Amino acid sequence: MTAVIPFTILVLMLIFWLRNKRRAARAATLAVRAGADLLPPERQRTDRAFADPSTEAVLTAAAQGDWQPAARALAMAGTDWERRSHLVDALAGQAAKEDSWLRAWQAACPEDPAAAVVHAAAKVSLAWEIRGSARAAGTTREQFAGFHRLLGEARQDFARAQALAPPDDPTPYIAQIPLHKGLGAPHEAMRQLWAEVTARAPYHYAAHRSALQYWCAKWRGSAELAQDFAARAAAVAPPGSLLTMLPIISWFEHNSDAPDKAYGWPEMRTLTETALRDLAAADPGHPGLAEARHLLAYCLTRQGSHAAALEQFRQVDGFVGALPWHYYTDPAKVFCAYRERALRGALIAQHAN
Amino acid sequence: MGACLRALRAILLLAGFYLLALVILGALVGIDIAVWTRGVHLASIKLTVVLALLGFPILRGVFTFGTGGGDTVPGLPVTEAGQPELWRTVRGLAEQSGTRAPDEILLTGEVNAAVAEDARLLGLVPGRRRLFLGVPLLAGLTEPQLHSVIAHELGHYGNSDTRLAGITRRGRDCVGRTVEAFKEREEQRIGKERSRQEQAAAKALRKGRRPRRISTKNAGLGYRLMARPFQVYARFYLRATSSVGRQQELAADLIAAKVAGRDATASALRRTAVLDAVQDFYLNSYATMGVSAGLLPPRGEVFGGLRHLLADPRRRMNLAELHTTLPPAEATPYDSHPPVAERVRLIEALPDDGRTADGARPALALLRDTERVLAEVESAVLTPEALALERVTWQELVHRAMYAQAQEAAQPLRSALAAAGMAVDTAPADSAPAELAALLDAADAGQLWLVADRLPKSPEAARATGRAAREFLRPALEAGDAAAGPAGPGGAPRRPLAAVLVRPGPPDAAREQRLAGPGRPGGSPGGSGTGGHRRHPGHHPPAHPSRALTRPPRNRPDHRRPLYP
Repeated sequence: MTAVIPFTILVLMLIFWLRNKRRAARAATLAVRAGADLLPPERQRTDRAFADPSTEAVLTAAAQGDWQPAARALAMAGTDWERRSHLVDALAGQAAKEDSWLRAWQAACPEDPAAAVVHAAAKVSLAWEIRGSARAAGTTREQFAGFHRLLGEARQDFARAQALAPPDDPTPYIAQIPLHKGLGAPHEAMRQLWAEVTARAPYHYAAHRSALQYWCAKWRGSAELAQDFAARAAAVAPPGSLLTMLPIISWFEHNSDAPDKAYGWPEMRTLTETALRDLAAADPGHPGLAEARHLLAYCLTRQGSHAAALEQFRQVDGFVGALPWHYYTDPAKVFCAYRERALRGALIAQHAN
Repeated sequence: MGACLRALRAILLLAGFYLLALVILGALVGIDIAVWTRGVHLASIKLTVVLALLGFPILRGVFTFGTGGGDTVPGLPVTEAGQPELWRTVRGLAEQSGTRAPDEILLTGEVNAAVAEDARLLGLVPGRRRLFLGVPLLAGLTEPQLHSVIAHELGHYGNSDTRLAGITRRGRDCVGRTVEAFKEREEQRIGKERSRQEQAAAKALRKGRRPRRISTKNAGLGYRLMARPFQVYARFYLRATSSVGRQQELAADLIAAKVAGRDATASALRRTAVLDAVQDFYLNSYATMGVSAGLLPPRGEVFGGLRHLLADPRRRMNLAELHTTLPPAEATPYDSHPPVAERVRLIEALPDDGRTADGARPALALLRDTERVLAEVESAVLTPEALALERVTWQELVHRAMYAQAQEAAQPLRSALAAAGMAVDTAPADSAPAELAALLDAADAGQLWLVADRLPKSPEAARATGRAAREFLRPALEAGDAAAGPAGPGGAPRRPLAAVLVRPGPPDAAREQRLAGPGRPGGSPGGSGTGGHRRHPGHHPPAHPSRALTRPPRNRPDHRRPLYP
């Protein structure tokens, strides 16, 4: 009689084990089927966060030496400051690689405020390219010398761009934030620049995103300063401004080695839920939306909210040039690994119900 | 508190150090015994090994390190038969200082004189006494000045008023060494741990993961824990006894002044500080100028060449200026020495004893057969690699070293020119003018960047493309600079592009006009740095030439070194 109890337990264990195994196998086949529309790592683009054909066209033209589409696109953006910043950023990146088109533009329109701000922002991009993205200890003297020489030039370029720009245009001030970061500007100088920005665009996502970097511990601030900055911005932001992402970014920047469990804490859940509502209210054409989705997808996966994560993953699949992936040496691989985890998790949850 | 009381306190403190070591060792042995009495396990064997490893530095530090100072600084022993004048002088000085004469005299290549004693048992038992005398010091001081220096060193052991302080001094040495032994072990451990973690990080990187940050916080923890009580005690001890040390220096100065005269003692202190700097300069600029070309000055001149430099009239004027300014004091609570300026001030405040320091002959005259001794010191002090270098006359050394450096410095530019298709890379003797012309033509045609692009680049610059790549070239182009290359850690000195292509004349023809022989103004190492003798701006001598050439000293008996960092 006494032998029956352990035997029963053993049999039950075997049954559960077999069931789990079958479920896992079924989930795997289901995952393959459900993920058929998702792209493999080699087809992920690492230079963009989302499909942006109009910007793409402008950049292609610039690469071929034609500056006019760039000028037209910036004129069309008008006072959509998010869009203008996004274009200036992209064009500055292009000009940091090759600037013959920009020089032609400036030769044709010497007083053009758009060309001036692209020129200044490109100097900063170029400076960063020379410096590389390693920490200070891994950066050579030669790299630092080039970095500081170009940043010094950029300071004057920004002064010129600000003088040329219309008084309500925040772009030349926003683009100057990375310069402050690189030159190690004192907090007071940063606050002055920030006042110029917010006077013109109080809820500008890219501006906040850039300024948050300055306040991070790895640049000129600390975990507390960054968190304070992010919380304040998120508290007053209107829905759809995406500024609710700032506390998440700040937390992520200062807790890169946090375990999965930490993402499930109530504070973090509140942050991601608020952000999801904010994203739903945002203009679908908001240039910062994709990056917000990328980071949310990451956080939600680690939180175990796999279905919600998968939803975000699907909307940005194909592009991995965003936080947090670009912090890894192989962003596409990491992106796909997390997406896979979300996909399987979502399927298991679905079938468990 | 009187000097005697203070010294007594120092001895008690030293005994405390000894006691601390015994207590810790006792604790280790106790733990081990306790474990073994409970039976034999694999764990208890392991524990024994660990405890033995922890206890070893203590044993080494306390019991055997006290005898240190054995073969410390490489030097040439001189016998009484070989150098009777020197020995007679030293014996006389020892007698006047009230202590026994050293058992050995060794000549070294440093600007330093020191007496070391192989004392045992934390310095309580006296041992064999050695006098180390630097040849450069002999070359730079007059006889009375040397007397003063030796009298000062011997005075540390002899002054009957501070006999107890002599024990303090040995004790300070022992404590310092024990702590050093711990630190050495700990650094070894940290080094091992670091290389292990670096390998792991590289592996993580290959797998596409974010590597962990390398941290050696936990490495060598056992040793650090073991060393902690000693370090704390040593710091306390050194601080508590530093006043004795300082006082004792001043007492030794008084002995030196009594034996050698006030003026000689003061001027010896000033002079030694200057000689240190001059010797550094001499080794950097002259003695080692040809090392990268495989050349050394003639035998005996590596350390003896300082004589010529000191004898040069123009150098003498520079040196006279240096004499008036004394090095600023390094204020550390552990330094046993009062600042030199303070010592000089105190000595010069003594009443005039009527003895003058002027007009005396150089101390080198004490040596018989100076040239032979200088050559033998080299054999004793230089590394085998240095001794294997070719010896050439000063004229030839300067010429060949400079020529080799110019050749080497021009090579990147010549290769770049050839790679850009602007010149043929052939033997330097034939192509230099043609290459220079090609380079100037490229500059005229605005094509210098093509050459600059082919100069050696840092890996970062080589990876860059487009505008960033051009920005990396810009400094080299704007400076018109050939030797920029990958900037060295110290920011390599740069030379104009054209200068490196100019050949310093054929090896035999114009040499005599360009380079005067030693002894002639401007030609010897004493030359004022004009013409071909100036250290080439692109020449990077080793940071510590004497260290690169000479055998590394172990536990040098140089009490000028602070005992505890």
